[in-house]
Amino acid sequence: MHLLEVENLTKRFGGLTAVNNVNFHVDEGEIVGIIGPNGAGKTTLFHLISGFLKPDSGNMKFKGENIVGVPPHEIANKGIARTFQVVRPFRHLPVIANVMVALKSPRGSKKIEWIKTFERKAVDMLENVGLTELMLEPAENVGHGDLKRLEMARALALEPDLLMLDEPFGGLNPLETDFLTKSIQRIHLDHPTRGIVIVEHKLYALMKIVNRVIVLHQGEKIAEGKPEEIAKNKKVIEVYMGKAM
Amino acid sequence: MVTTYLTRIYSSFTAHVFDIPPRMLALLLFSFLVVLPIGGLNQYVLGILASANVLAIFAASWDLLVGRTGQISLGHALFFGGGAYITALLFENYGLPFWITIPIAVLITTLFALLIGFPCLRVKGPYLALVTMAFPIIIGSIVGWAPLVDIFHGEIGFRGLPRFFPFLKIQDQALAEYYLTLLLLFISSVILYKIANSKTGIVLVSILDDEVASKASGINVTRYKLMAFAISGLFASLAGCTQAHLLKLANPPMLSLSWSFIPVIVTFLGGIGTIYGPLLGAYIYYILDRYVLTILVKIPPEFVYAKLLIFTAIVVILILKWPRGLARFTTDKLQDLEEARDIEERGPKIWKTYKKKKKIV
Repeated sequence: MHLLEVENLTKRFGGLTAVNNVNFHVDEGEIVGIIGPNGAGKTTLFHLISGFLKPDSGNMKFKGENIVGVPPHEIANKGIARTFQVVRPFRHLPVIANVMVALKSPRGSKKIEWIKTFERKAVDMLENVGLTELMLEPAENVGHGDLKRLEMARALALEPDLLMLDEPFGGLNPLETDFLTKSIQRIHLDHPTRGIVIVEHKLYALMKIVNRVIVLHQGEKIAEGKPEEIAKNKKVIEVYMGKAM
Repeated sequence: MVTTYLTRIYSSFTAHVFDIPPRMLALLLFSFLVVLPIGGLNQYVLGILASANVLAIFAASWDLLVGRTGQISLGHALFFGGGAYITALLFENYGLPFWITIPIAVLITTLFALLIGFPCLRVKGPYLALVTMAFPIIIGSIVGWAPLVDIFHGEIGFRGLPRFFPFLKIQDQALAEYYLTLLLLFISSVILYKIANSKTGIVLVSILDDEVASKASGINVTRYKLMAFAISGLFASLAGCTQAHLLKLANPPMLSLSWSFIPVIVTFLGGIGTIYGPLLGAYIYYILDRYVLTILVKIPPEFVYAKLLIFTAIVVILILKWPRGLARFTTDKLQDLEEARDIEERGPKIWKTYKKKKKIV
């Protein structure tokens, strides 16, 4: 059984088909990258899986359970945590309280081990992404790169079985990108059964960490395979670079 | 000799005062209110102070819903007037004493808040404000409707509700009522402050900041909104019930638009999202309303809406000038003074750069 199974997923916005008959699966312990040019339907796919949008047709199963039509907060409590392409911090709250919100959810509070207090757990989550120094700073004073990491800490606080990162490297400088790559790798090592899905434009950073890549173009899946294979795939090169004259 | 001694006392006092958190300031205000009647205030002033205490409870309940959760309600008169009407109905029909009618009325209003909260909280922002504004108008017109005059007594409403302490002398009654409302205010504001600053309070603020992100964090947003709505309704109706027994009446104006806007004005005066701000705001409101506008400016009591207009203008100016409210403005100033004192000790150079630095809200 796959961790996440997506079958024939379709979503239309009026005349535009944003996601067209997409099939894919994610296994436990796998890091899957989803790439594609602008408007390929990557973010829509994320919204569909996390329940913020309802698909027009198709099936989605998480650990064998149907998740079509389930509200977003219940999907999060089933174990799918996501981040957002445009950061969505709780601006009035300090950095640590941002993480505490996720810990207050049913899944987050269930996963706190008896030896850890609520606050200790929140600090641990920030430690994962290296934000402990900014702990008490209000989120509105924190820079964009740190907010990206904060989003990830908040998602990790749910102890998800499937972590979905929407453009985690977007707007980061090379140093920050490098740091985040390392933290994703460390998170992967700490929880070997956790599946991770990453949507990304920065192929260089992405190709280093993923096991498998799915390529979307105009809502359709055009290729799937190991990073090395994808890099040589003619169709993919065509989509990214245009046709050879 | 004496002056040096005094300055030493003063500096040692300020050294501690500037360090205390806002809630200590609120406590200082409370202890001031406890000793206030010792000066020998007359019955009229005590009555106004009791009303100010009730208004503070009402505004603090609005602040929890709007300042913390971000669900704008412009229909809080519904809970206020609703509570008042239910206690009055229970008293008139069954002759029950206030310590039975008030809890029942609060309970019924809270359940009603849950009931109307369910459809209301599906809409957001200005739409929510409009929907909530409609409810007290609907109930107000039902209550004032001619065919139901036998039940609700139409525009006149209920009169002759029992006082809280009928066995005391008149002068003592006012004093006792003042202390009762102060006690209620203390208990409710402590409860509201505790809720607002608990882990649940963090979740409430997360809903204010970004509903989508709280959903993604696994928070059942609807449930928390309903909870905030119910808690807010509970304290608003407690304020309404108390007000009904203080004024010995429950009438349609208690369900009117002006009672929906007064908590908004008071909260903005004090500082939205603080819970302790409305405490200060309620007293400022009553000083402005009963002393400045009535005694100094002499606006006749018939022109209720003229007063509302003036208060709205004050709120607009406040939002432009001190958007964080007077309570926060005070605590900010104290903090600034403390910082300045620290910097002054360290050296004049930093002090100059500090002066140049502008405070961003």
